[in-house]
Amino acid sequence: MNSHDLTVLGYLVILLAAGLLAVAARWTRAPVPALGDVLDRIMRTRTGRVGVLVAWAWIGLHFFAR
Amino acid sequence: MSHGARDEAAARLSRRRLRGAPGSRALVIVVLLLIAFFSAISGKPLDGLLMLLVAAALGWDARAAAEPAGTAQAGAAQAVANASQADRPALLRGSAWLLGGAVFAVLAGSFTRFSWPATATVVSVGAAAVLTGWRRPARRPPPGPLPRAGVVAWGAVLAAGGLWELWSLLQQSSLTATSYAHPTLSALTDPVLATAPGRALVLAGWLLLGGYLVRR
Repeated sequence: MNSHDLTVLGYLVILLAAGLLAVAARWTRAPVPALGDVLDRIMRTRTGRVGVLVAWAWIGLHFFAR
Repeated sequence: MSHGARDEAAARLSRRRLRGAPGSRALVIVVLLLIAFFSAISGKPLDGLLMLLVAAALGWDARAAAEPAGTAQAGAAQAVANASQADRPALLRGSAWLLGGAVFAVLAGSFTRFSWPATATVVSVGAAAVLTGWRRPARRPPPGPLPRAGVVAWGAVLAAGGLWELWSLLQQSSLTATSYAHPTLSALTDPVLATAPGRALVLAGWLLLGGYLVRR
């Protein structure tokens, strides 16, 4: 396994972990909140709302804008 | 305590809740400044400038003069009004948004990446969403107490994603040159984003995510 494969594997592991948390939140009794609930909690305040929306906007800027 | 003083104290508490605790606000501002710095030095000055503007705006907001009393109450009233409007032609509105989003994705996807037209379209939509979030109070009622362990787990996964990306970025020979050995997410998505249909699909997903966030 070379560095490229290892790096990609890292991304996949992180993606898998997020998927497992989502499954645990929805279909098990584990003390894991749904990501939507976490977002609701963060976005209660203006700072949180703006922070989350800026993070989303940054993704679009990063991939498409100069 | 007089009624006036009590009302003023309640209004202060509402404004504090609306804006967020100083610690969390400072954290968001620091993160935005870090993103601005790393964006700027990795050849994305516009990204950096926009992050800087938002960080400055949040800092200004923290120091701004008191908002008119009743903002939080007005927000709650707005949320109720929004809920009642949802019963009206929701299907029609939803369809119009979907159609508009699809047209946007195809149009913006037809532009070359990092061109000025692509920049203008993405910046416009991103800025509109951020401004909407700035001006509008949260639409959904806050959830009850969340289990700390689960919140920490989500935070750890998101932080791990960010750190893994940063590590890959720092392994490149320079911040502006992609590396095959240590690809960033940008490098991994380059093949998809090289085609107009690929860009349109990714932009559609980005828009859907943005709509989901703005509606919360």
